[in-house]
Amino acid sequence: MSPSDVLVVGGSTAGATAMRELRRRGFDGSLTLLDPEDGTNRPPLSKAVLADPGRESGVLMDHSPLDVRHVRSRAVSLEPQRRRVVDADGRQHSYGALLVATGGRARRLAAPGQGGELVLRTIEDARRLREALVDATSVAVVGAGFLGLEVATTAVEAGARVHVVDPDPPLVRLLGTHLAGVLVRRTTDLGITFVRSSARLHGDPVSGVELDDGTVLHVDAVVTCAGDVPDVGWLAGTALHDEAGILVDPTARTTIEGVWAAGDVARTAHGGSARRRPFWANAVTQGRVAAASILDQEIDASIVDHYFWTEIAGTSLKAVGALPCDGEPEVLEETEAGALLAWGEQAVVALGLKRSVPALRRLLGERRGGA
Amino acid sequence: MKIIADYDRCEGHGLCADQAPDVFDLDDEGDLVHHFDDQDVPSALEDAALRAVDSCPVAALRRG
Repeated sequence: MSPSDVLVVGGSTAGATAMRELRRRGFDGSLTLLDPEDGTNRPPLSKAVLADPGRESGVLMDHSPLDVRHVRSRAVSLEPQRRRVVDADGRQHSYGALLVATGGRARRLAAPGQGGELVLRTIEDARRLREALVDATSVAVVGAGFLGLEVATTAVEAGARVHVVDPDPPLVRLLGTHLAGVLVRRTTDLGITFVRSSARLHGDPVSGVELDDGTVLHVDAVVTCAGDVPDVGWLAGTALHDEAGILVDPTARTTIEGVWAAGDVARTAHGGSARRRPFWANAVTQGRVAAASILDQEIDASIVDHYFWTEIAGTSLKAVGALPCDGEPEVLEETEAGALLAWGEQAVVALGLKRSVPALRRLLGERRGGA
Repeated sequence: MKIIADYDRCEGHGLCADQAPDVFDLDDEGDLVHHFDDQDVPSALEDAALRAVDSCPVAALRRG
């Protein structure tokens, strides 16, 4: 039976997708959104928006066509037995169904009270970072993942000398050695320097990073790109309070009756491990799954969507299938611009080539012996 | 209802063509083709078109 009212906590990609999908599926009950901010479409933040303030339009979401009551406050506690959520202004919100889509916040390395560390998660972060990059002649990026290298690319293109510090080899854990190798080469060609070390923030306000060997890299700006932390603090005292993320089943249900979760805050059991996969495509598919599940309708999407893209050192990468890819790929096509690569039936990747997701999916489907 | 496409912003992900194949397509070069550019989307296709707007990862589509 579908509920008469739905409360969504968090209105960015997962929450907003779920709200639209609820309405699209015919839900005409009351829909309440609890979120202090407007929803943010994050992918452009580390790319276009960081380089150009003119690209901010469209990044903040407009929920107005959805007939949703937007309460601009933060959730501070969940009382599952009473089926209600309390917000920071002391208001209580009862629900028939609750969708937790609070996402995450940037992981920080600064000690309490230590100022000046830059991160990139919100539009405010992007604005601060953009301003810092205008004047910075030297930048240290802590963390050599996708976000770190996207930021490093923007910084070096803005004219700064850039060091990327990480104890692990850049991108390998995420992409595998072949793809990481190609992107890191192009990044190095741009003049970015990689340093294999852990990093401690130096100074207050932060003015550099201290490396394992005790040397300090003195720079104008330090940007920490060390992943995100799921926003579960407000769920303290409930079964959902899990720093690794809220575990959901393939229908986006949590272990608490009447509560669903989706997006960066959620952890899914898939392919042998239950972990968060905090990427855009998963926020979208999980929002859709949650909406169908809340309405007790047929679920026509998977809880994990293996689509991922990035743009590093001017090279775009679009991947369909599970990453990382180990070993050498089969080259399906190669031009001056780039290549279309496949790893068996595991993944198809367009590197530097313009290929649409449906085309990549078709290709992977064919390799898997599908239609 | 019109859907406005920002061609400069489009990166050719093609998720819109997945959601609304009668409204959006990609040509052989991987560039966006909007079948109702600068005109109203037929009402029967509005729902799919709005889903396509939602599905764009770079916010290159918006409701006009």
